Amino acid sequence: MESDPIIVCRCEEVTLQELHETAKSYQCSSRELKLRTRAGMGYCGGRTCRNLIDMIVNEVTGKSPGHSIPLGYQPPVRPVTFGLLGGHK
Amino acid sequence: MTGRIEHHPILGSLENRKQILFHFDGKTYTACESETIAAALLANGVRTLRVHEEKGTPRGIYCNIGHCFECRVTVNGVKGIRACLTLVEEGMNVESGVQLPVPFKEGGHQK
Amino acid sequence: MTDVLIVGAGPAGLSAGIACAQHGLQVKIVDEFPRPGGRLLGQLHEEPDGTWWNGMEEAKRLLEQAEKLGVDIDCGVSVYDAAKTKEGWSVSSSHGNFEVPKLLLATGAAEMALPLPGWTLPGVMSIGGAQVMTNVHRVRVGERGIVVGVNILSVAIARELQLSGIHVDRMVLPAQNPVTRDAGNPEKVFQSMLRVAHLAPSTFMKLGSKLLKSKTMQKLALQFLPGIGGIRMWGIPIQLKAAALEIIGDKQVEGVKIVKINAKGAPIPGTEKVIPADFVCIAGGLYPLVELAAVAGCPFAYLPELGGHVPLHNERMQTPVEGLYVAGNITGIEGAKVAAAQGTVAGLSIADEFGKLPEKNLLSTAIETVEVVRQNATIQFHPCIAQGRATVKNMSAQHKSDA
Repeated sequence: MESDPIIVCRCEEVTLQELHETAKSYQCSSRELKLRTRAGMGYCGGRTCRNLIDMIVNEVTGKSPGHSIPLGYQPPVRPVTFGLLGGHK
Repeated sequence: MTGRIEHHPILGSLENRKQILFHFDGKTYTACESETIAAALLANGVRTLRVHEEKGTPRGIYCNIGHCFECRVTVNGVKGIRACLTLVEEGMNVESGVQLPVPFKEGGHQK
Repeated sequence: MTDVLIVGAGPAGLSAGIACAQHGLQVKIVDEFPRPGGRLLGQLHEEPDGTWWNGMEEAKRLLEQAEKLGVDIDCGVSVYDAAKTKEGWSVSSSHGNFEVPKLLLATGAAEMALPLPGWTLPGVMSIGGAQVMTNVHRVRVGERGIVVGVNILSVAIARELQLSGIHVDRMVLPAQNPVTRDAGNPEKVFQSMLRVAHLAPSTFMKLGSKLLKSKTMQKLALQFLPGIGGIRMWGIPIQLKAAALEIIGDKQVEGVKIVKINAKGAPIPGTEKVIPADFVCIAGGLYPLVELAAVAGCPFAYLPELGGHVPLHNERMQTPVEGLYVAGNITGIEGAKVAAAQGTVAGLSIADEFGKLPEKNLLSTAIETVEVVRQNATIQFHPCIAQGRATVKNMSAQHKSDA
């Protein structure tokens, strides 16, 4: 019996296999991998999977992590309604 | 089974807590005062709080401190509320997240 | 008029708030969780002298002190942005905007995941999530569970679950894959467990820590550790030579398929079996939760010994960004006592910036206290913490001289 795929990004249900293959074919950065697969783009803002995405990229590209954060953070760091952003509560 | 831990060898006993009633997907449940929605539902044996909007896979509490958003539910008509951070109130109406028709991709930062 | 906004009402945030308020500052603390205390709330461990350290009591003590000093604490508030203004900071939250001269981020840590097939099933929780459910909310996470991931945090929490009458059937490693890596390598896990062996009530581990100082002895010991029923702590089997391959269940957790592994973590074919369970805890360790420091424009240092990327800061807990301070696990993964000591430093440092700290020695003493608390910590998350701290300090100084 074959086991289920390993989901890395729970929000967008992106699998380890998909991330690994994409990282391999494009030899890309964490940011590009995120944009290509939607991993880390879901509701939680990548809080659960960002380290995993970096690990996959580091393994595939052979690069070691640097001091700047590979997957940048953009506000809002929590999901908010447009009403709240517009200043209406 | 799940359930409440009324007595604890170090943390002591919890007794005479005020009971409140709330609703989840049309059923009525009992919560204790100052309990989160997630804790109250788990105490009642409810583990599934939503299904993945696209894939329909069941989801429940994961991080329990507001980081992962897996436990988001609809509370009194407001979507995207984290069950793990929200205290139950008397008569509160909680609904689980359901599968949505595809394509729905509404992105991560709105609701 | 608020002088300082503190994000996070854990040991660091509360201690900082107390120190600020003691020096006449108006302090506001916000936190997402419905109760103040942060991760102090779930913590419960037995000190080497046999007494219990109860984080809940510790949180209560800090809270009472803060409230007495007039610190304004708002829970259920989610901060989603922090932007620099001419006068200080504009901080956006679910409950409106705050305009403040000084901002302290004490947002703590988040948990790292160990992805396995089936880990999205209801009944699979992070180990910290299970701790909060058990010790804070006092709700049983299940009847019989398996902990995936063996580290200092997960062993401590397994014990806490057991205290609540929850049966922890066993602790195993995650099957090795590109995102579980060292957590699935028995040799690496064994070495890291040996560092905390002095805390263990089990004779084997106590004896082990003395006998197993050399690498050769460790290799030998691991070779003979049976995969099933290896080490026990408080009666909980810790199986360093068994790995979780998959979490089984239709609508929720029904069991875990495990397999015996060799000393390198490779599965031994034909040894798979399914262990029934109604909950699973995933224990991948902690990393500093730095998102607000990032959107605030703070530069970072990558230091694995501190848990990953940490905001640059000096020993006064000041970041290179004007008016932005950090304290607690956002600066590196350590225990609650260190976090509280750092919070006091940050609070005094902020008071000093306002010209409200006539007794300068208080700050230098508080800085020394952080070191003392760190050295006396019974739980060290990483052996090279001191080294990591020194690197951050140097990088921060370097950053200042470059600017």
